[in-house]
Amino acid sequence: MKSRGLGYFITRFFLVVWVIFALFPLYWTLITAFKTPIQIYKGPFYFPFIDFAPSTNSWQFIFFGDGRIDFLRGLLNSILYAFFSALLSVLLGSISAYGLARYSYKYGPFKNDNLNFLIVSQRIMPPIVAVIALYLIFKFLHLLDSGFGMILAYTWFNLPLAVYLLTNFFASIPREIEYAAALDGYSKFDQLRKVILPLAAPGLASAYLLSFFFAWNEFLMALMLTFRDAQTLPIIITTIRTQMEPKWWILSAIAVIALIPPSIVVLYLDKYLIKGTLFGGVR
Amino acid sequence: MIISKPKKTKIEWTKHLLISPALLFFVALTIFPLLFTLFLSLNFWAVSGEHHWIGLGNYIKLFQDSIFLTSLRNEFIFVIFGVLFEYIFGLLLALVLNQLTRGLRLIRLAVILPFAATPAVVGCIWKMLFDQSYGPIPDLLHKVGLTSPAWLTQPLPALFSIIIVDIWEWTPFMFLIIFAGLKSLPKEPFESAMVDGASSWRIFWDLTFPMLMPTTIVVILLRTIEAFKIFDIVFLTTAGGPGIATISTTLYAYDLGLRTGNLGYAAAMSIILLIIVVLILNVFLKTIEWVRRRSVLQKREEALK
Repeated sequence: MKSRGLGYFITRFFLVVWVIFALFPLYWTLITAFKTPIQIYKGPFYFPFIDFAPSTNSWQFIFFGDGRIDFLRGLLNSILYAFFSALLSVLLGSISAYGLARYSYKYGPFKNDNLNFLIVSQRIMPPIVAVIALYLIFKFLHLLDSGFGMILAYTWFNLPLAVYLLTNFFASIPREIEYAAALDGYSKFDQLRKVILPLAAPGLASAYLLSFFFAWNEFLMALMLTFRDAQTLPIIITTIRTQMEPKWWILSAIAVIALIPPSIVVLYLDKYLIKGTLFGGVR
Repeated sequence: MIISKPKKTKIEWTKHLLISPALLFFVALTIFPLLFTLFLSLNFWAVSGEHHWIGLGNYIKLFQDSIFLTSLRNEFIFVIFGVLFEYIFGLLLALVLNQLTRGLRLIRLAVILPFAATPAVVGCIWKMLFDQSYGPIPDLLHKVGLTSPAWLTQPLPALFSIIIVDIWEWTPFMFLIIFAGLKSLPKEPFESAMVDGASSWRIFWDLTFPMLMPTTIVVILLRTIEAFKIFDIVFLTTAGGPGIATISTTLYAYDLGLRTGNLGYAAAMSIILLIIVVLILNVFLKTIEWVRRRSVLQKREEALK
């Protein structure tokens, strides 16, 4: 491929087309958030300042106007659920992952690898299977439309991935380091806190961010298990979408906000994702 | 012996304690709901709480339910075409970006950014983009002199639209894993092939593609499992319409379960979906195992010659 032949131009052309395809929808959301209703329905207009004058109409509506209550509640819920469920997933996940990486288990026919597979395999099940039952269970326990219920559900949702990723991370830290620390007189707790934890920090951070990412983006459970008080940002957006005349300008403004945290996570994890460290174990 | 014994039981205790959170969640939120859904599927169970045992009644009704059968057909259309094109595009992108020397990081970020997008937002964005009267896609097609189909309101274009959105959302995932796979390949075979003057096409077919096989299998497997869960894109773009042309099984279960309130019927539906996913997974894994074994046998025969 050193000569700039036909192949070179075809691949470059493909790349340009793909980048436009990938970015255009996001660009469209961003500019729609700065349009007035008339600019949308008279449209489509493509370039701010050139074919339409941007307005902060929808931003004022969601931050200071009538849309404030729903939007801020959704935002707060999304942040809280993602923050705490990711924290719980990593906390519980690292405990179990440490066990799986350091001890050998045998429950009947299930050994370490089987247990690890069993835990990951939960993600194979289409969520609707669990969600139908969870709906009735949550109803019975009065957890429907509650923050606690959602954090619980999201912790469950993310725990398999956290355990899986962290088992690999802990397994990659040599046992000998712990033995050395033990010889230096560290207690088991101090070995974990002062030796293993700093070494596992990048792994814990990645697992946390990924859990946060998945909880933030989750849709089906939020849709079925919340109605009002516990609604997350995706559900607030959906509510606007399903109105007779969707207010696209408001929807887009909220969408832009909703896109920020997961984009930051992906940008941050980019180097890990590309090295395949996060999905590495599956290869 | 006597001294070491209490220590051993202590370790035993700790290790069971360590794994307990993951197992507890597994039992409480996967096994129990699964069994409960299975139980629900054997009952008539209204959201209001009214319920009675009907055995396999729901399952028998399901296979006479044309909406359910359509939803299964759609699942297969989405999975086959979605995963196929995502794989092709993901592979192409990975190959092209692997040769890129300048601007790699920026282009790579542009390529993976859709992966970050919140699914609820994805559905809404594309609903806007496809809109017949003020969406940019029909408008741009008209501007270049093409006729634009009624994307979301005609059966075939609607199916096609959903596959396009799925490709947009999930190709980055394919790309990421394939790209990582490419990066981890050994360099030597490629260098010697270059020295031998092999064409890039031959290098791809004889080296890259077979060496990427393990990665390929994993991405297709992961994506297929994920693709059967399709819900948000359909729910937010076409809502299963026009009519039931694009309905997915999860969407139908959601509609029936919560709108009309027959949770038992929805449960039966989701159980069938689960069975299909597990069956396909097994066939897939068995096939891989068979192919692997055959290639090992072949190599052994060649070695004997």
